Amino acid sequence: MSAKIQVNQLQKSYGTNEVLKGLDLTVQENEVVVMIGPSGSGKSTFLRTLNKLEEPTAGQIIVDGHDLNDAKINMNHVREKIGMVFQHFNLFNNLTVGENVMLSPVELGKLNKQDAKVEAKDLLKRVGLEDKFDANPKSLSGGQKQRVAIARTLAMKPDMILFDEPTSALDPEMVGDVLAVMKDLAKDGMTMIVVTHEMGFAKEVADRVIFMADGYIMEEGTPNEIFSNPQNKRTKEFLNKVLNV
Amino acid sequence: MKRARIGLLSIICGVIFIMGLAFSKPVNVNAAEKVYEIGTDVTYPPFEFANDQNKYVGIDIDIMKTIAKNEGFKVDIKPIGFNAAVQALDAGQIDGMIAGTTITNERKQKMDFSDSYFKTGVVMAVAKNSSIKSYSDLKGKRVAIKTGTAAGDYAKSIQKKYGFTTVTFDDSNNMYDDVSTGNSVACFEDQPVMQYAIKTGAKLKIVTKPAEGGYYGFAVKRGKNQELLKKFNAGLKEIKANGQYEKIVTKYLGASAMASEKKDKSQNTFVDLWNQNKDALMGGLGQTIILTVLSIIFATIFGVLIGLLGVVPNKLANGFSTTVIYVFRGLPLLVLALFIYTGVPNLLGEKIPAFIAGIITLTLNEGAYTAAFVKGGIEAVDDGQMEAARSLGLPYGKAMRRVILPQGLKIMVPSFINQFIITLKDTSILSIIGILELTQTGKIIIARNLEGFKIWTMVALIYLIIITLLTWLSKWVERRMKS
Repeated sequence: MSAKIQVNQLQKSYGTNEVLKGLDLTVQENEVVVMIGPSGSGKSTFLRTLNKLEEPTAGQIIVDGHDLNDAKINMNHVREKIGMVFQHFNLFNNLTVGENVMLSPVELGKLNKQDAKVEAKDLLKRVGLEDKFDANPKSLSGGQKQRVAIARTLAMKPDMILFDEPTSALDPEMVGDVLAVMKDLAKDGMTMIVVTHEMGFAKEVADRVIFMADGYIMEEGTPNEIFSNPQNKRTKEFLNKVLNV
Repeated sequence: MKRARIGLLSIICGVIFIMGLAFSKPVNVNAAEKVYEIGTDVTYPPFEFANDQNKYVGIDIDIMKTIAKNEGFKVDIKPIGFNAAVQALDAGQIDGMIAGTTITNERKQKMDFSDSYFKTGVVMAVAKNSSIKSYSDLKGKRVAIKTGTAAGDYAKSIQKKYGFTTVTFDDSNNMYDDVSTGNSVACFEDQPVMQYAIKTGAKLKIVTKPAEGGYYGFAVKRGKNQELLKKFNAGLKEIKANGQYEKIVTKYLGASAMASEKKDKSQNTFVDLWNQNKDALMGGLGQTIILTVLSIIFATIFGVLIGLLGVVPNKLANGFSTTVIYVFRGLPLLVLALFIYTGVPNLLGEKIPAFIAGIITLTLNEGAYTAAFVKGGIEAVDDGQMEAARSLGLPYGKAMRRVILPQGLKIMVPSFINQFIITLKDTSILSIIGILELTQTGKIIIARNLEGFKIWTMVALIYLIIITLLTWLSKWVERRMKS
């Protein structure tokens, strides 16, 4: 096992508003890390700095041994290897489901159109949507959209995937399908960082759970440690609120 | 960053290209045989007006052409309107002007005049049934004058003394109409012009003796085209000596010539007028369509480029885009047209043909509006689309081209259609710099036959028909794009 991602003293501010106040985190290959914490604690912002959708204010991010602060680094190449799944799916509205999945491998010259099509059909089958290849994204339910988004990310054959609240915008009955796909990925050894409010998923799938609040990592440990025996007062308060509804 | 620079570069290239177009033409003309461009008024009968065949005739035109023929030079007469001619002369856009121009000391600051070729005086005219008989009846009333004319200046000089207000018009017919319809009680005009207008249909009568005797002269820009001025003076002497001058004046002010024109007028029905003028109107429409199509093409290219500069992640490009939109959307089209046609050549010392100036004007103005909605259309696409594309490793340009622009374009389609229609209508404003498009054609026809209502109705209908066709075409394209 080697470190896929190493984060040192990461900070992010918007003007005078400090969102991340110095975070350290190492994620190993094949590891599934689940981040939990109250809204506004900086979980999503943290995730978005990892592929530089947000530019960090200070600190260091090392992906596969490449320091992202290095001016010579081609961020596009780094991003090819870091998949991302968004809360609001962000499927390309101007393309069909199949074209969504095929777009980046074809545009970036990884596959020709024929091969990309075969690959896309395979991936859609894997997320249970093989019949939606020619569908318009608008005709899909939220859960279906999110599964297409996961297939789209997988098309780039990423080393790791960042999930930014992937089930928060879904109707409750859709959540299970998406989580099932994610569990499969975890089982196949995908390195994953998941920001979520699905505590069941965290308990069952995570190798490590991280609790964030106020721009800091307050506590981390195995699911058992965090959920059965939390040490930090803020962690206890948070779990009390979300587990006893 | 790199892309933004390429964009900026292409804008600059585009501007240089347009400027190149602007300057290439006059150079060619100069290289060939020397043709003097002479500005004149749109409508100042009997000195200049379009006849039944829509050819320019009149005392000024005939004198100019006769002298040119006798002295062996060529002239290109441009009926761009009195005010536009004064400005075009000053800007060096035309070589001389002959437009019933009274020689005044003030004008001598900017122009060199020939020997006078006509003596005139200012008269006041009122509606046929009016009770006004003298200046003292004008107290508290409104008087119509024509901008930049000696008659107008005279009216203004006595305005305080007799206590009337003035309203100004750009050409004589509108001024006459304002009086005959009762909006104004009187107008001031040079005597021969007024006489001729009344004899050919204006429902007015002259109530004063000629005042402020003035002298008409042919003018060039001060210190420029002295050779042309010399030729004119020599030619004038010659035609006065050999009787050609007398012939010309009698032709237009003699009783027989006018009687026949008067008779024609009373019988004109809508259909007659259409048959008489359809060739001229269709010619004007052709020019309007060419202007519209070229302007739409250039404005769309310019607008899309400027709009894209407004959204790329580069502060300099964004600032440039915002400034261009601010300036050219903020300027009234009329001001921009005059600035480019008469202002810029003044500075550069190079002519810009009216047609090119018109295209540049519309490109900048319509392009600024286009840029604004292109920018807005792109910004209206959800940020998540760009983030998702970038997170897959697509570079900015590819993400823009394959994901953002196709969605933005869909949002922009109705705005594009709207802008095309506005561009078509805005070509009418270019009549101010004398382009013979549909509106200017209408003006000239009315200057001849005084059938304002019928001709403007025809012009309006033609615009409506073309706009309807353009709208249908656009909707059809829009539907095809959606499916």
